[in-house]
Amino acid sequence: MTAEKILIANRGEIAIRIMEACLVLDLDFVVVYTPEDKESMHVELAMDKSHDGVKRAYCISNYRDPNELFAVADATNATAIHPGYGFFSENFRFARRCLARNRKLTFIGPRWEVIRDLGSKINTKRLAKKLGIPVIPGTDMPIYSEIDAEGIAEELFYSQDQQGVREPSVLVKASAGGGGMGIEEVHDLATFRQVYRRIQNYAKRLFGDEGVLIEQCLRDYHHIEVQLLCSQHGEVVHFGTRNCTIQSTGRQKRVEIAPGFDPSVCNYSFEAEKTLEKVVTHSVKLAKHVGYDSVGTWEWVVTQDGMPYLLEVNTRIQVENGISARIARISGMNDYPSLLEEQIRSAFGDKLGYKQQDISFEGTSIELRIVAEDTRRGFSPWCGTITRFDLPMPSSSWTTHTHVPSHRTYTIPTEYDPNLALAIIWGATTDDARVKAKEFIKNTRIEGSGPHGEKIVTNLDYLENRLQNILIF
Amino acid sequence: MKDTNKLLSHLHDRALYLLDIKQNPKWSGIGELISRLQTLRKKIFDMSHETLIAELKMLDERLSFLEQRAANSLTSYETVNIVRNPARFTLQDILENVYDSFSELGGDGECNVDPAVVVARAVITRRIKNKVYSHQVMVIGHEKGKSEEFRNGGSAKPWGNAKALHYMKAAETEGIPIHSFIFTPGAFPVEDYPGAAQAIALNLYEMAMLRTPIISFTSEGGSGGAEALGLSDMRLMGSRGYYSVISPEGAAAIEGKLREGEKVPRELIERCAENLRITASDNLKLGTIDRIVEEPPLGAKRDDYAFFRRLRYEMIKATDEVVLRTKSLKAFRAYAMKTQKNGHETGFEDIDVVIDWGLSGPELNRLLDMRSQKYRAMGSDFYIEGKKGIVDGIFKLTEVAAAGFYELRYGLIRPHERNVRKVLAEVSSEGTTFLKKVAEPVRAAYDFIFPQTEKNQRINRTHETSTRSIFIEDWEPYVSPLANEDRTVTCPNAQKYGCLDLWVPDLYGEFAGVCPTCGHHFPLEYRWYLEHLFDRKSVAEFNRHIASGNPLNFTGFEKKLEKDRKKTGRCSSVITFDAKVRNIKIVTAMFYSDFRNGTVGAAEGEKFVRACDKAKMTRRPFLAYIHTTGGIRIHEGTVGVSQMPKCTLAVREYVESGGLYIVVYDNNSYAGPVASFLGAAPYQFAIRSTRLGFAGPRVIRETTGDDVPPDYHSAKNALKRGHIQGIWDRRDFRKKLHNALLTMGGPNLYYK
Repeated sequence: MTAEKILIANRGEIAIRIMEACLVLDLDFVVVYTPEDKESMHVELAMDKSHDGVKRAYCISNYRDPNELFAVADATNATAIHPGYGFFSENFRFARRCLARNRKLTFIGPRWEVIRDLGSKINTKRLAKKLGIPVIPGTDMPIYSEIDAEGIAEELFYSQDQQGVREPSVLVKASAGGGGMGIEEVHDLATFRQVYRRIQNYAKRLFGDEGVLIEQCLRDYHHIEVQLLCSQHGEVVHFGTRNCTIQSTGRQKRVEIAPGFDPSVCNYSFEAEKTLEKVVTHSVKLAKHVGYDSVGTWEWVVTQDGMPYLLEVNTRIQVENGISARIARISGMNDYPSLLEEQIRSAFGDKLGYKQQDISFEGTSIELRIVAEDTRRGFSPWCGTITRFDLPMPSSSWTTHTHVPSHRTYTIPTEYDPNLALAIIWGATTDDARVKAKEFIKNTRIEGSGPHGEKIVTNLDYLENRLQNILIF
Repeated sequence: MKDTNKLLSHLHDRALYLLDIKQNPKWSGIGELISRLQTLRKKIFDMSHETLIAELKMLDERLSFLEQRAANSLTSYETVNIVRNPARFTLQDILENVYDSFSELGGDGECNVDPAVVVARAVITRRIKNKVYSHQVMVIGHEKGKSEEFRNGGSAKPWGNAKALHYMKAAETEGIPIHSFIFTPGAFPVEDYPGAAQAIALNLYEMAMLRTPIISFTSEGGSGGAEALGLSDMRLMGSRGYYSVISPEGAAAIEGKLREGEKVPRELIERCAENLRITASDNLKLGTIDRIVEEPPLGAKRDDYAFFRRLRYEMIKATDEVVLRTKSLKAFRAYAMKTQKNGHETGFEDIDVVIDWGLSGPELNRLLDMRSQKYRAMGSDFYIEGKKGIVDGIFKLTEVAAAGFYELRYGLIRPHERNVRKVLAEVSSEGTTFLKKVAEPVRAAYDFIFPQTEKNQRINRTHETSTRSIFIEDWEPYVSPLANEDRTVTCPNAQKYGCLDLWVPDLYGEFAGVCPTCGHHFPLEYRWYLEHLFDRKSVAEFNRHIASGNPLNFTGFEKKLEKDRKKTGRCSSVITFDAKVRNIKIVTAMFYSDFRNGTVGAAEGEKFVRACDKAKMTRRPFLAYIHTTGGIRIHEGTVGVSQMPKCTLAVREYVESGGLYIVVYDNNSYAGPVASFLGAAPYQFAIRSTRLGFAGPRVIRETTGDDVPPDYHSAKNALKRGHIQGIWDRRDFRKKLHNALLTMGGPNLYYK
């Protein structure tokens, strides 16, 4: 590769992982940090790993200000920007600006048009419908007329009745909303209008657009993801499926398992293998249709009767990319792949060099997200200083990713989520992985104290509990 | 001894008056003359009576000579000085001397809604032989007062104009003519509840169809303030009055591009006064007034009783004429012959016929027709209409054909159809089985012949929603040229709301020039609106060939026009076109800033009126979109000012005929247009970035001496004081407009 230099526009463990990927690929890099994140390991590592005396960490005021990022990129002569996840990773304007500015930068991610088109759930849904991919029954356009809306609700109730759904209900959502704002459930057609008007007014007031979406409300479903990797040369491969059903109340994932279903351990009321196959085929179909050219995740819900519905597409690298890579083997390569490295390679226009047939899957991998939060009190974040942070040494059974230093104390910045570490555990079978995960949790030592001397609260016990019943409803 | 003293002070007054007019003590030794008079006054007791008389006589002769000389070479600026002189007659003098008796309404001196506007019911009499005939009239005018501070120099406040309107309506109810007297340097530029522009616009809008004769007399006509009372059937003007779009000082400040506080050079003011064509004879030539009332060579003063007699005669004659024009032609002609004959013999002293000033219904209709024609003709010689010949002929022909078509379609068939349906609905809803039996087949047959459009039926879902998708509209192919720059700008509200710096291509591209954090609107060029507001390729411009000219031969203005013509490729500051907004056909007039800052002159007025008439003919909603307007074009003087009533009349006729007139303001909208045909609209909206008002902050500071807060002209304040009916965000301008057309249109509008 040529003299590329990547600006890592993110924080925490993903910044460290991108940095490591850069070192493997022999690319120069530069990181940014905010004053609150000064203690974070990614800053220390960036300083550490360059023995040439070149400054590789720059302080900015805000990770969310594109102007500062571009200023750093220009000042350091960076040629590319890796957005990581969150922040600018799914911001098509940012990606577009990378290309449209006078000093062009490579945006490590998909083309901006793809980010834009798949970034909108409504648009994705419409596109999927066109390709015959199953989506959650409901509207694929914002509805502005009450009469239309009621007609749709009526149809949804009728079809649920036909399918024999026990408690039929529909969701009324503000189309311009997001993050759970402006969503209400309706159980009875008689109360529909009332709810519709409420949501419409709410949407008009908050988002300036009174468009409303109406969807069937699904219950007790599995959250299945498909990991895709595409290159700019039209190559599309998948790295299997993941099950991300275990989430906090704020819809934050806590435990992820690859592959998505394991019929050898659990009993399913449907043909699990076939469902996964269907999910993967549909995802690849959509990716090929839009000309996808980076890593991406297709999110699905699978209901109890084994019906998959496309939820949305995440046009970025994800936190849990590690587990999909962990169970994959590419013929001709010694180790399991790194999706981050593959993403960077494909962004610079490299070919993948392997096909779907070359990829095989082996074992089960579980990811645990260790977060300083009180799971018993609505997952409320905990803030304070960590005095001891000992994770079990990496082995063939597990690897860890963290930005929390183990050799010194670390104060969790209040500005960001209190994520502490990721553990990626691998076992030959699901049961094996589960045992190893429990062992990992047992050997993890985290100590610390809050501003008033209270003990640190983490979600380790919650994770252990949830490991009991993974992969089943 | 006493006599000489009086004589002396009289001479002194005359000399000072002359000095006031000339404003130059060196002119023909006037200064020296005055100092001689002053020394004479000191020595008056030392001199003998005879020498004093001789001396005074000599001085009198010399002064008379100077007065003669001054009157012969009177410049425009000197006319302004005459008008501004405190010795000039005011409305009070007119009320006392022209009218036989009067009672002031709604005020007594300082105790008044607005002492600058005086309203009175008055009686004006004419003597025929030995008999006296009297008429009741409503006198409305500005009172400059006799150096009384509270009169505000005749600058009417908004509520003063509202008061005038109130009594105009009273006169309409009582069926008596209105005599309005204009003595104003301009309206008081205060934005209150209501604002100056609102009040003037409302006055014009109402006067446009006020069903009673209006006669106006102008002594000092300062632009908008004068128009608020000046829309009339007969416009008289004192021969030493002035009527102008702006004060010569104001024009000079603009022409010289002077900054605030800088002294305006005297020569520039004089040149501007000359160029503005503000005198009575100039205005008569321009056609903005109908008749001149002769004054003494150096202007009428308070005690000029001969002038007041003449004014009474002229006012009666003008009212007679207006009244008679509405009657049959024959009567009018007979009257004209008679007055002509008498006029020659006895001067203006006597009028031989008595005319009843009350008018009947059809006569009032004729009066309004003539008022409309009179104003529509104003300024018609002062724009350049390029197209001539065959093309023009064909154009005219198609226009006539179109008028016929629309008249047939909407004027005849549609109301007829509506009536038939109404009768059918009434008959069949009676519930009588017998009637139903008869009515049903008739109704069915009627529905078969005239099928109703199926608009009210449930709309095809996919089609309807697809046109409303937020995703199709978000990415339009037209991108403002402002976006072609790789740089960032800082939002002015960054301190307050913490807005991040905006990248210019995003800001002027996708964000439509609006800060996504705080909603601050950055200005955008007018082309953006042409492309984004209307359906693609639906904009069809008409009357493009009507061009702005230089009617006053204003020095140096040709060059400026040429420059703007080259810059924009257009020849006036308004674009009129047919367009569609989500498939609703509308007629639009768009004022934009690139051409003379969106100012209105004869060409713009004409285009606006034609667009308005087209909307009326085709029965379509009419949108006036104001990208920017800087007011009336000062280089067109009173020709420009007369566009205010002209356009307001057109608008009023359109609205009266059932049209939907919507005004949307953006950027800077000030002065004349806002105070007339725009401010008169029943539905006015503003884009968030709008600055809207009568006069800018600088003018307010200069006239009132008060500083205004920075958000004085903001859209929010305009909404608060009730000028506009709503504020729109630029990003959903199109959606809001469409919605407005749907909700304000409705089945009662004929375009539906």
